[in-house]
Amino acid sequence: MMQTAVAPNALPEKISIKNLKFFYGENLALKSINLPLYEKKVTAFIGPSGCGKSTLLRVLNRMYDLYPKQHAEGEVLFDGGNILAPGQDLNLLRARIGMVFQKPTPFPMSIYDNIAFGIRLYENLSRSEMDERVEAALTRGALWNEVKDKLNSSGLSLSGGQQQRLCIARSIAVRPEVVLFDEPCSALDPISTSKIEELIDELTADYTIAIVTHNMQQAARVSDYTAFMYLGELIEFDETSKIFTAPGDKRTQDYITGRFG
Amino acid sequence: MSEHIVTRYDDELKDVQRRIAEMGGMAERLVDLSVRALTRLDTTMANSVIADDRRLDQVQRECEELAIMIIARRQPMALDLREVIGAMRISNDLERIGDLAKNIAKRVLALDGQFQSKRFITGVEHMAELSLAQLKDVLDAYAARDVNQAFEVWRRDADIDSMYTSLFRELLTYMMEDPRNITLCTHLLFCAKNIERIGDHATNIAETVHYVVTGEALTQDRPKQDESSVTSVSYETR
Repeated sequence: MMQTAVAPNALPEKISIKNLKFFYGENLALKSINLPLYEKKVTAFIGPSGCGKSTLLRVLNRMYDLYPKQHAEGEVLFDGGNILAPGQDLNLLRARIGMVFQKPTPFPMSIYDNIAFGIRLYENLSRSEMDERVEAALTRGALWNEVKDKLNSSGLSLSGGQQQRLCIARSIAVRPEVVLFDEPCSALDPISTSKIEELIDELTADYTIAIVTHNMQQAARVSDYTAFMYLGELIEFDETSKIFTAPGDKRTQDYITGRFG
Repeated sequence: MSEHIVTRYDDELKDVQRRIAEMGGMAERLVDLSVRALTRLDTTMANSVIADDRRLDQVQRECEELAIMIIARRQPMALDLREVIGAMRISNDLERIGDLAKNIAKRVLALDGQFQSKRFITGVEHMAELSLAQLKDVLDAYAARDVNQAFEVWRRDADIDSMYTSLFRELLTYMMEDPRNITLCTHLLFCAKNIERIGDHATNIAETVHYVVTGEALTQDRPKQDESSVTSVSYETR
């Protein structure tokens, strides 16, 4: 049924999803998903609306815990430990696995504090150390040159593309290991989109990345591996170059070529 | 294959395929005519080949423009991407086949008034039949997206190659027999080389069909039988 993932060179798995099921109340939204996220690689999730790709992403940092009727079964191994286990420290987990959403969500505070806020939760830094961390994060987020003269302006005063890069800078400021992107460019113009994609390319040097996108070309451009999901199932997972030139499953082919009826 | 949600996309792809079919028919006709012009030393026919090749070039440009537009407008993926890339490659091969037929036709004009002996031409004619059959088969394989048929064409190119090698020897022998044969045989040798190249383009098309259908390149090494570059015929004084 499902094409088994090939790991020809046996890449290390940063996250291993095993028999993952997810329920919205009674409703089964993910049907036994098995999937690796390889370390320092970009994995893209594609599929029509409602296929479960955002749900899967939300499981990876236990976002669903905020909602009482939702629960997950199975295992998600993160560096060997199961993040679905009851004892999991959620704040720590969300610092190690950062997330960037579809719409930019800057805090209603200064650009500087947007970055510093998360760091202060985990670390006690001197003013100069904090300055360095903020600058490093904004530089990494490809935003420093645009905002260095107005760090005290509100984060909300930035353009949509800048706000999104601010959110990326914010999530990497706490030095996560994995960054999850849920349609990070769907509200952005093409130039801002290119800047985010450039940023994702650079981030792979240090981070493991998962990205949900409706833009097929974007998935083809930024990712190393692609997972195609449909109706809560993982239909195909393979190297991106394979998925977009010669996918193994007819449903994948129909979807990416625009034939889905 | 089911249709795209955007109907225009299907129309555009069909448009490209129609042009490939048209080019295929034209290329076959040009090769056939050029060889007939050669065997009959018919300069009128040769001139018509030279004129018709321009039309083939034009369709090739149209086909390429359409393919480029599809890439720009639709960003084709997977099978569609392979179709478009395949169409571009095949149209190039067919355009080159037209040029080779034209080259043969030009030789016919150059041979005008030369002494003709049927026995010199038989070998070239036979080789042309084989190349034409290859071209026809590979175009059928493309139309039917038939990998097996394409693979057969690919494999059979060795026959044309070895026929070329033996024809090379044969023509060399005629030249040694009588220096007055040299002009005709040299022209024939070039014609034979052109025909051998036509076979190579048919093989390229076979490889493209394989790629379009399977998404994988035919990586096996094709057995090379053209040994004319290392062939010599010993000169015996009689």
